[in-house]
Amino acid sequence: MDELELLKKDWKKKDGKFKELSYSEIYKIIHKKSSSIVKWIFIISIAEFVFWGIVNFFIPDSIYEVYDKFHLRNWLYISYVVHYIIVIWFIYKFYTNFKAIHIADSTKLLMKKIIKTRKTVNYYVYYVIIYNFILSIIFTIIMFSKSDIMLQILNPKNLDIDENKLFMYTLIIQIVVIFVMCGILWLYYRIIYGILLKKLNRNYNELERIE
Amino acid sequence: MTKDLEHKFISEFQKNQNIVHKVCRIYTNNQEAHNDLFQEITIQLWKAYPKFRGDSKLSTWMYRIGLNTAITLFRKSKRSIKTQDFESVLYKIESSDYDDTEEEQLKLMYKAIHQLSDIDKGIIFLYLEEKNYKEISATLGISEVNARVKMNRIKTRLKKILNP
Repeated sequence: MDELELLKKDWKKKDGKFKELSYSEIYKIIHKKSSSIVKWIFIISIAEFVFWGIVNFFIPDSIYEVYDKFHLRNWLYISYVVHYIIVIWFIYKFYTNFKAIHIADSTKLLMKKIIKTRKTVNYYVYYVIIYNFILSIIFTIIMFSKSDIMLQILNPKNLDIDENKLFMYTLIIQIVVIFVMCGILWLYYRIIYGILLKKLNRNYNELERIE
Repeated sequence: MTKDLEHKFISEFQKNQNIVHKVCRIYTNNQEAHNDLFQEITIQLWKAYPKFRGDSKLSTWMYRIGLNTAITLFRKSKRSIKTQDFESVLYKIESSDYDDTEEEQLKLMYKAIHQLSDIDKGIIFLYLEEKNYKEISATLGISEVNARVKMNRIKTRLKKILNP
């Protein structure tokens, strides 16, 4: 193919025509910070851990008093312990995944590893959403099945209102809030990692297709 | 110790920096993007350098990391992409260097290359660098047969663009 030979020739001809960087210019570059995808996945996942840690830390104790009335506080603590054991396991997985990524691997292997890392992040996301969802649902069922205590909390001054309606509305709002919160969480992760990995996924799919 | 390594890296990199420039040339089409990618590849090379054992040639290792950075790690800069032809930005070519049809053909071909997918760009790049299929397949992590098939498709595509 003549055209391709022509291209090759031209390519070679221009080989030496790039602007040569000096020692000090290269020195400056290697002291700059990288902005690779992997780095961002790592930063974001760490930021998430820290964020939820801080959120939990600032939840006032008074919120837990509600649970005392249903004798749920111990169960809540048990669920926290289990939760943190699982979270620590995830942190460990993140760490080993990132350690395994070597830029000098073949392109496909490198992508595979990055996608594996993303998968771990995904599992973490699913876990967080499902954990929060199930915990909220279970607690809602327990709390609303003890309607006398619930009404006492909802209407502490015993005002003359339709208690059935109050009970129903609160339950509906509670359920809506649970779904909306889980939905927001899901959307957040979709957007963040979706943007970050769009190009990578596209390229990985192409390599998969030709195999 | 680190200073020694740094010095060694910069000296060797300086001699081989053309490789990085060429990767940038295939993957970007304006000077700004070229510089961004150049910077990112250089950083990745430096980060990976302590693990470079010398069991492959430095240049082979640079091709690999350069392509990996362009294909997997590098996120295009948010800055608006200029439609300017990269050819005119990177090179000051006197028109007397070429005969008109050749120049026109080359222009079309470079334009076509820029429309290829990231993977295809990698393959044509290694081809232009006169790497054999074994090296191409090892760098990208696909089989030799697949590398050949891909290259043939790219050739056909380029041909079609030039002779519609």
